[in-house]
Amino acid sequence: MDEATEKAPGAGRKPKRAMSDNLYAVLLVTPATIIIILFALFPLGYAINLSFRYADLTSAVGIGPYVGLDNYRFALNDTIFWESARRTLIFAVGAVSVEMVFGIAIAFVLNQLRWFQGIVRSLLILPLAAAPAAVGLVWRYMYHPDFGVYNAIMSMLGLPERNWLGAVNLAMPSVIMFDIWQWTPFVALIVLAGLQSLPKEPFEAAELDGASTWQVLRRLTFPMLTPVLTLVFVLRSIDAIRLYDAILSLSHGGPGTATETLTYYLYRIGLKYFKLDHASAISLLFLYATVVFTAVALRSMMRVQAERARRA
Amino acid sequence: MQAKTFTMADLIRYTLVIAILIVFLFPIYWMVSTSFKPPPDILTRPPKWTFQPTLSNYVYAFEEANFALFLKNTLIVSVISSTIVIVLASLAAYSFARYNTGAGHLMFFFLTTRMMPGIAVIIPFFVIFKVIGGTAIGQALSLGLDRLGALVVCYTVFNLPFAIWLMHSFFQDIPRELEDSARLDGYSRLQVLWRVVLPLAVPGIAVTAIFTLIFSWNEFLFAFLLTRDVARTITVGVAGFWTQRGIMWGPLSAAATVCVVPMLVFALVLQRYIVRGLTFGAVRG
Repeated sequence: MDEATEKAPGAGRKPKRAMSDNLYAVLLVTPATIIIILFALFPLGYAINLSFRYADLTSAVGIGPYVGLDNYRFALNDTIFWESARRTLIFAVGAVSVEMVFGIAIAFVLNQLRWFQGIVRSLLILPLAAAPAAVGLVWRYMYHPDFGVYNAIMSMLGLPERNWLGAVNLAMPSVIMFDIWQWTPFVALIVLAGLQSLPKEPFEAAELDGASTWQVLRRLTFPMLTPVLTLVFVLRSIDAIRLYDAILSLSHGGPGTATETLTYYLYRIGLKYFKLDHASAISLLFLYATVVFTAVALRSMMRVQAERARRA
Repeated sequence: MQAKTFTMADLIRYTLVIAILIVFLFPIYWMVSTSFKPPPDILTRPPKWTFQPTLSNYVYAFEEANFALFLKNTLIVSVISSTIVIVLASLAAYSFARYNTGAGHLMFFFLTTRMMPGIAVIIPFFVIFKVIGGTAIGQALSLGLDRLGALVVCYTVFNLPFAIWLMHSFFQDIPRELEDSARLDGYSRLQVLWRVVLPLAVPGIAVTAIFTLIFSWNEFLFAFLLTRDVARTITVGVAGFWTQRGIMWGPLSAAATVCVVPMLVFALVLQRYIVRGLTFGAVRG
């Protein structure tokens, strides 16, 4: 654009340079694009193909003839599939809502700290960086009905001891509690960053006008935080739906199927029973649902980006 | 400004903060402390809070359970894939930031691939690596099942979109004027990228590299399903202490500590950038 205003040297070869600029830009993106398209679309095509065939690796046929929509019919009539989808939703709603509420509350407390804020912030990062597969197993030990530290704490407080991961009704809340432990700091840190980047002027004006704390929160803080809150909510929801490591290390989907989410069910039929046909059909339904959800939800991320570009 | 004295409100806040920190740090403390417990003290009811520390769990994990191999595998896979990711992502992110290639659509498509549940695409990956692993090229590049090359490919694919988004935000911060004036000084476009932009982007590149390293290191699903013994990584190794005969809590805690603590240190190094990284560059901390 500066070439348009400045006439002298570049004027003559402007059209040619604009062309090669585009080419240069495309060339820079090409390697990454090839890899992503190859490894995103090829497996997708493969899964689509499998989902229309008979494919049971435990049978003598292996990958067999095309069977039309049979696998999808199976999936849609499969009560275990719907049950695990329901559990995935229960997990996601339970975990994400508590994480949002606690995370926002913690962010407000941290924002008002006058000393040691930096240290507290860095200590809160730690749960996030721990591999869920590894700390999940440590939590299994902590949840142990006999030797676990949580029951020891319960009895110190005079509360009844529980069979955290062993009781059908308590297993899912226990898995949710693990997720809350790991991801509440994530919400808190991002909301804190959002709070600290709010402009000062509207708040000073509100103070001069004698607005109450509640009014300031409702009229100023939360509306201005909305983009950040939406973003955190979207990222957390996507991750919660995809959760797998924690289920495997905490409960193996059990007791019975009490904590078997969609991801774990897919693992069971696809990679333990090798019913690739059913697994592929269910994968694709799951993938379709998540891609639609993310494509809609991630628009908020684009909006935060655009907003920043506009301000810069 | 507020007075610098400690008020009643401060007392409440700091009490709360201490409680919050205890809740969130306690599991990590318990993991580390269990890893130093002598075996007889691990299965006691109630659990022991004080004990004579010992290294025997670590000795068992490394000598009996071959944990050193898993550690080595993890290091190789995460370093190689992070390097590839950084090279490819810097080029792409620069192009997106400077030339707005694809008008945002391509970047958005990349992001959606990152959000795909791994388990939903694992079967094709499994079959592909099974087939490629049988061929001569596949063997030469160690791309089969239970081979490190396969994991390098997976981690590269899954970290690329993240790295592109994060680096895009760092490239956006570099003033265009610098590039334009370097162009006027007669630098070619590649020279501008190599001599002007990349040196300025070093902090962003370092931050992105550490993030992709942490993600690869902590990855479990692909490592668990695509490896058996030779290419096992550290997270799968930790899970390996859950055996048919029961769970060996002591060595497991030692292994988990070895797996988790280096990443905690890395995360602390990153702390200024942690929010930015976790939001794919969308929120600046």
